Amino acid sequence: MNEQPETKDLAEQCLNHVLRELPLRRAPATLESRVLKELKRGADLPWWRRGFGSWPFSVRAAFVAGCGAIIGSTLLEGSWAIAGVRVLNEAVIQSMSWMHPAVAAVTSAGQFAALLERVIPSTWLYGVIVAGALLYAALFGLGAAAYRTLYLQPSIAGDRR
Amino acid sequence: MTFMRAYQDMVFSTAARLTGNDSQAEDIAQEVFMRAFQQFAHLRTSPTAGGWLKTVATNLTLNYLMRYRKRRRLFSELSDDAVDESTVAPQIEWAQDTVFAGLSAEQRRLLVDDALRQLPPHQRIALVLYHFEDLSYQEIAEKLQVSLTKVKTDIRRARAALLHLLQSSGLVRECL
Repeated sequence: MNEQPETKDLAEQCLNHVLRELPLRRAPATLESRVLKELKRGADLPWWRRGFGSWPFSVRAAFVAGCGAIIGSTLLEGSWAIAGVRVLNEAVIQSMSWMHPAVAAVTSAGQFAALLERVIPSTWLYGVIVAGALLYAALFGLGAAAYRTLYLQPSIAGDRR
Repeated sequence: MTFMRAYQDMVFSTAARLTGNDSQAEDIAQEVFMRAFQQFAHLRTSPTAGGWLKTVATNLTLNYLMRYRKRRRLFSELSDDAVDESTVAPQIEWAQDTVFAGLSAEQRRLLVDDALRQLPPHQRIALVLYHFEDLSYQEIAEKLQVSLTKVKTDIRRARAALLHLLQSSGLVRECL
């Protein structure tokens, strides 16, 4: 900032000249073999483990058609439900009967939470939320301070670069 | 493999100067050539293959560094314009013909690479992009997602620090 413009321009020009004159670094001898090995590994992979673009055309077409069918059936079922067709839903509910205890437990927990919400004054609830947010912010600040103090101070924690 | 041999030094140098780390640079160079071989049919005969590889190497390296920086930035670079004053080197004056007198090109390269590695990453990256990759201040600011002021400050301080490092190692003779 205190640099004289002429000196600054000269420094820029000279450094530019010096850096451009430098020869390239020689790549490690292992680079070529690494790339070859990786290419071979990629070529040996079965088609389903490669990118979509590498799949056979017929498989890609079948995949797209399958996805379209799933999306279409999902939309169709949604429209049926809206129209009041519940036969399919009832069949699904019957087939999911093994989940009834879990559903009952979740429902009970919800009812218990609703009961607590009615019993405990809303001011308390807001207070708990604010206290939680403050504690979170305090922990965040402490974490940041610890990181700056212990990690970013080379004299204490050692230069990790 | 003739293709790779023709460009591997350039790709590796680009990544190594930006990262300051040979191991990371080799990983990035490998990824650059993996991408190149996906478009080999086009690149094999393209006169702009070198430019394509250099651009991809630069962008992949910056992506790598940005990902790494994002993990640390929250705590270490909260302010976009935060600059560590302790890294500011003293102002020096010099003349072009005093630099690197009597050294071979390879010796100069080793010394500059070593000095570059000693710069803080944000200064080194900005300096390399400006002097080696021919990017403007504005382009560097956009690529690094920082302000134009910060880029200018980083590059100015990096130049001063680099010359100071070279001078303190006795490689730059007394300045005029």
